Amino acid sequence: MVGTERWPDGRMDEIAIHFYGSHPSQWELPMSLKAKDLLLTRRELVAGGVASSAVLAAGCGPAKLGDRESLTEGEARTLGVICDEIVPGDEFPSATQAGVLDYIDRQLARAYRRHRDAYTEGLEQAERLSRAKFGKTVAELGGAERLETVRAIERENGAFFELVRSHTMEGYYGSPRHGGNRDAVSWRMLGLEEPPVRGRAQFDLRKGSSS
Amino acid sequence: MRVWLKIGAMAVAFAGLAAVGGVYGASYYYTTQHGQGCASCHEMAALVGAVHGSAHRNAGCMDCHEASLGTKLRHIRVHLGGKLPETIRLRDVDVLAMTANCKKCHQKEYAGWHSGPHSATYSQIFTDSIHNSKRRLMDDCLRCHGMHFGGPVRELVAPLDTKGPWKVMRPGLGDEPTMPCQACHQVHRQGVPESKPASRASVVGGAVDDSLAFFDRRERVHFAAATLPIPSLHDGARPIRMNQDPRQRLCYQCHASRVPETGTEAARSDWGPPVGSGDDRTPMGVHEGLSCLSCHFGHNESAAASCKTCHPQMSNCGLDVEKMDTSFASAQSKHDIHWVKCEDCHQHGVPKVKAPAGARPHRGAQGE
Repeated sequence: MVGTERWPDGRMDEIAIHFYGSHPSQWELPMSLKAKDLLLTRRELVAGGVASSAVLAAGCGPAKLGDRESLTEGEARTLGVICDEIVPGDEFPSATQAGVLDYIDRQLARAYRRHRDAYTEGLEQAERLSRAKFGKTVAELGGAERLETVRAIERENGAFFELVRSHTMEGYYGSPRHGGNRDAVSWRMLGLEEPPVRGRAQFDLRKGSSS
Repeated sequence: MRVWLKIGAMAVAFAGLAAVGGVYGASYYYTTQHGQGCASCHEMAALVGAVHGSAHRNAGCMDCHEASLGTKLRHIRVHLGGKLPETIRLRDVDVLAMTANCKKCHQKEYAGWHSGPHSATYSQIFTDSIHNSKRRLMDDCLRCHGMHFGGPVRELVAPLDTKGPWKVMRPGLGDEPTMPCQACHQVHRQGVPESKPASRASVVGGAVDDSLAFFDRRERVHFAAATLPIPSLHDGARPIRMNQDPRQRLCYQCHASRVPETGTEAARSDWGPPVGSGDDRTPMGVHEGLSCLSCHFGHNESAAASCKTCHPQMSNCGLDVEKMDTSFASAQSKHDIHWVKCEDCHQHGVPKVKAPAGARPHRGAQGE
């Protein structure tokens, strides 16, 4: 049997194993491989187990309920304040109420992974500014203090502020499919019905090709 | 070299065994940790967090979601591979599997839905020879029928012509519902657990279930019922009175009117969409101003027992309203119950109502 059934390109025949029984001694092996070569010594078994455990353990660290995909809890609080100063709530939801934080968090783990470091550094600097100015974290600031802090961020780290402003606009006005603009709230704010009420298609296909 | 190959093979085998064992163990873990197990993956944490704030907060993930071995291994592969989809959402097969699980707690609602028109299957909708011989199937059909189907209509049914015979291409899908529970309900939407009312609430303008939301196929997200628009419809040039019941906003996403046909006076005069056109069934005439839910009860949408909700046994005309010449009494009647007017029967003028003092005035006759 061995040697008569080959792979189409003739390249794999040396490792093709034909199973004719449940015990390795019943296996027919091609050419150079012998059944005993496949049996493991105790040392090899332990080494394999250790290697596989290391692979599994290195997979990822566990998250917990309430965690976000990318932002830490503290980062999310700080960023939420900045976003809500850019789009504050009135009769329509604020940026965070419309899901902008969800949008940024989701994209930082995906399409905007390249901006992750900029957020880490920018938000750390925002906290430093806030502590230096008011002795409090950004999340602890009052209304006027928040606005003043965000203005300071804009002055001192314009690139980061522009990044956040741009992502806030994307999350607030973009398609809900990307994680922001919850229930298309910004589109309704602009007077657009979403999803629109649509009847069946208006065109009559009987007049065109029907097959 | 061969030793290292064997060690590597053992490592793969151990990892495989651990994964398979872990997958089955995970099912138990997920059911007992109230979602904490699922939230261990960062990409799942937000979804688990959402359900903890929803009306379904008391349910565990596996009460609703069924995950086969293949699905679990796919989750692991995607998670470890790091190539996460932008939106984690249910596939059409996952949605259909969930529908059966809804029944475990919502037996009454499921029974109603199952006996009603909204449980129509893929075969019933997409292989209907009467429809298909007149109009070709198109992707827009999937907006309201099979909104969770994961592909275009050409992957669902063949042939796409008006000759047929038509067949649902995916084995087993033909008997599955096109409008499952998730078409109108978002299970993870923020809300409080339902409680049974002490008595049946009014069907007119009642409270909106927290979960009531329309699944928009284009965006692949749900929109809350209360955020959906109610169209402005016209009877000729006259805008008709629209009930603002938030629940019926959901109905208009599919039971919608058409814009006026080109060349008609309605189009020339720029009137709004005409009531009763297309799939619209907005009440007009004597029933103008009512909500869909005023007459269509529950999940089976039956209106069979609806008349007595508002009418006395006899109408102001002295007739039993259920036996009047309307489509309620007979489907062959030319007087559709949705927009029947007094004038339809009283062609020589509507007589003055001689209602007893204190009796409810007739809506249509009073022009309310």
